[in-house]
Amino acid sequence: MTPSREIYWNIPGHIFLYILFFPFLIVFLYGMYRQVRRLLMGQPAGVLDHFWDRLRGFVEHAVLQRRIARDAVSGLLHLSMSWGFAALFIATCLVALQDYFGIPTLYGNFYLYFMSLTVDLFGLAAVAGVGIALVRRYGAKPDRLLKPRLADNYGVLLALFLVILVTGFLIEGLRIAATADPWGHWSPGGWLASLPFVGFGEAQHATLHRLLWWFHAIVAFAFVAYLPYSISLHMLAAPANILLRNRERSGVLQPIDLEKAERFGASTIGQYTWKHLLDLEACTECGRCQQVCPAWTTGKPLTPKGVIIDLRDHLRLVAEGGDSRKMVGDVISHDVLWACTTCGACHQECPVFIEPIPKIVEMRRHLVMEEAEFPETMQQALRSLEERGHPFRGTSATRTDWAKGLGVKTVAGNGRPDILYWVGCAAAFDERNQKVAVSLAKLMQRAGVNFSILGEEERCTGDPARRIGNEYLFQILAGENITTLNRYGIKKIVTSCPHCYNTIKNEYPKLGGSYEIVHHTEMLADLTRQGRLRPERRMDGVASFHDPCYLGRHNGVYDSPRRLLGAIPGLQVKEMGRCRERGFCCGAGGGLMWFEEKIGKRVSWERTEEALALQPQVLASACPFCLIMFEDALKVKGANETTRPLDLAEVIAQSVEGSD
Amino acid sequence: MPLNIIVCIKQVIDPEIPASQFKIDPGTKRQVQGSHSLVISAYDQNALEVAIQLKEKQGGKVTAISVGAATAATALKSALSMGADEAILVDDPAIAASDQQGIAYVLAKATQKVGTFDLVLTGCVSGDWGDRAVPAFMAEELGIGCVSFVSRIEAKDGQVVLRRVVEDGYELIEAKTPVLASVISDDTNTPRYPKLKDIMAAGKKTIPTWKAADLVLDPDRVGSGAARVAITDVYLPLKESKCEMIKGDTPQEQAANLAARLRELKLI
Repeated sequence: MTPSREIYWNIPGHIFLYILFFPFLIVFLYGMYRQVRRLLMGQPAGVLDHFWDRLRGFVEHAVLQRRIARDAVSGLLHLSMSWGFAALFIATCLVALQDYFGIPTLYGNFYLYFMSLTVDLFGLAAVAGVGIALVRRYGAKPDRLLKPRLADNYGVLLALFLVILVTGFLIEGLRIAATADPWGHWSPGGWLASLPFVGFGEAQHATLHRLLWWFHAIVAFAFVAYLPYSISLHMLAAPANILLRNRERSGVLQPIDLEKAERFGASTIGQYTWKHLLDLEACTECGRCQQVCPAWTTGKPLTPKGVIIDLRDHLRLVAEGGDSRKMVGDVISHDVLWACTTCGACHQECPVFIEPIPKIVEMRRHLVMEEAEFPETMQQALRSLEERGHPFRGTSATRTDWAKGLGVKTVAGNGRPDILYWVGCAAAFDERNQKVAVSLAKLMQRAGVNFSILGEEERCTGDPARRIGNEYLFQILAGENITTLNRYGIKKIVTSCPHCYNTIKNEYPKLGGSYEIVHHTEMLADLTRQGRLRPERRMDGVASFHDPCYLGRHNGVYDSPRRLLGAIPGLQVKEMGRCRERGFCCGAGGGLMWFEEKIGKRVSWERTEEALALQPQVLASACPFCLIMFEDALKVKGANETTRPLDLAEVIAQSVEGSD
Repeated sequence: MPLNIIVCIKQVIDPEIPASQFKIDPGTKRQVQGSHSLVISAYDQNALEVAIQLKEKQGGKVTAISVGAATAATALKSALSMGADEAILVDDPAIAASDQQGIAYVLAKATQKVGTFDLVLTGCVSGDWGDRAVPAFMAEELGIGCVSFVSRIEAKDGQVVLRRVVEDGYELIEAKTPVLASVISDDTNTPRYPKLKDIMAAGKKTIPTWKAADLVLDPDRVGSGAARVAITDVYLPLKESKCEMIKGDTPQEQAANLAARLRELKLI
């Protein structure tokens, strides 16, 4: 006898299901209409390029949920629920296939192995998932869910899930008990649920089954209707956000067309693009961004999750008639805006590709360019950029002082080099970082690299101006640099500053400057591999490498610095807990080099303490800002005698015989 | 009461360049600009800020005037972007080599040409020569009172109250307008960061250039020929440091020798 079950057993009026569904569908559609209308408050955005790559990302992150699974427990519970419900939904559709098209989905092995066993196991997994979620959300209450506030109505969602799942199994159990289904045990969930009903009479079975069946249907419909009005919306908005995600590197900010722009930055919610608004609606409030945010973890009021949900709630209020609060200042405070180091940890962490940084920078742009209201120390830095082309006010050095006596050539006097060394303002003007420039120049000379510098013709790339929010100044500086670089026909650049690296590599092409650029750690790793530099002198002790955000997370350079450290004989390399993609910011990015942290603990102290736990002799980095931060923090911690902050160029120079 | 305010600004070579970069042309006895940028002399920016704050409160008009080369137009543009209503450049080879008194005369003539004015503000000292002479000479030319080292100005009952910074505090001086004040910095007059729309609007404004003829200047009072001050030499101060070891067998003896040596040098 072919394994099977009767379709719609005991439910003669099942066709009324569709009539019953209709009002719920109307409520659902109205909710979705309101949602779409909210998004359309935003500015236009082009997001449908590179369809296949988007689809690949969708499969990877919406279907396979790779980012969600990075946290084992929440990954497990989310996968159980989402895939569990997906399987149950597919099974329901397959039943419809048999009903309307006569495709026998409830027959034979397919019925046993898939429709009964597999689907039932998925359903059980979903029950387990709901259980874990409830315990986690209302029992364990991790900070990332609890703060700054617990999301509304996830409880309703989970309760609906539980009712739908449990009634589903009870219906199946009642059918198995009533029909004495010979294949009942192929549905382990249903079979378990059938046990209490075995002794019931036929009429009892039928009544109870029918009641529960309709109840189950109504609850399921209610869930659909409720979806656009609750946090459940993420089930649609999050996958959409993954599909429409920004495909550029996280360190890139979008230019403003200053000639045409009528406003600079965002002061009202409708000035964001609709894609930014979709970001807000896609947030599941999981708080993973908050957990890794250097501002939040050191006691500042900024939490990326907080920014997103505050903006979302503001958006909804505005859409429904109004919010008397100003977006910049009231909804999002100035303290929040000036706490972001643009380190990108939140971007990296978000399972659904929400981007807090551009939202923060848009508000900064408004404050800086339209209101001229921003921290005094940052104003000083920007004025210095305007007047002197570098942000280091009061420096006693010139751009080329560090190179005195080294025989370093300038492009002006010597024509186009094989590679241009883009020194950057920090290495030129900051006394500590001048030593890095010297080490790097000597290493390149030793390896026979034909390089020159721009010297006095170099200007700040504009990175701090852009991230503080002065796009106008950024474009002026970028324009001057691009003109200079193009005039000399520069093709290839090496720099020791990850901020310059990021800006030249990712932001200059949009302004007419395309160059091949390498970070000095990449170049030194190559020179070492080719044997042109031989780090042979032993360095005993422990070294740890701090990933600069604009080198690692924003540009994916993780291995070259580690290869360099690994090449030094005797040196024992230890990783900090937060490393590579999860590296923790030094606190100086996003223009915060020129900001006095007054709230909470200093980000640089937090990072330095983490490094000191490894008791390293060398705290290596590859960014001038990180180096300045560590110099200060190690002094404060009284550890500057035992732990030396060094740039990788300095570490290599010490190990390459005779280069210093 | 609305106030018409004239602010005199001077464009100077960035005074914050490293000392090693400071070069003097032996011929003209003036600083060589080289690749350094030109900025508004710092206290002149404070003067501008005081003027703009007063205008915002009282109404009226701020006019910035600069005597200088064509490059000074950039300084005037940034004055406009900060909130000055108008800017005037006085540029004529005939006045280029004037001394402090000559410049004060030119500024006074230009101020009179602008028309009615209630307040004339200048920086208390320029970022290059640092003579502090022009404000007083200019007040003399205009025949009005002069209050120097003023950090704040308030309008009150048809007069102005000026807070003059002195060594151990401040004086409040009431003055009838018109009056000239030279401005010193304090935390209320930090020059504002201009808004982008104002920078762009300033960029579109034209700045009139007045020549000696426009001001009907007396040729005997301007230019190098009229200068009463001649610069005979300008040089970088020489810093010398010598180290002398104090001898002595015991710390007590060393201390005694040190005291004796200091007394010998008349230092104690």
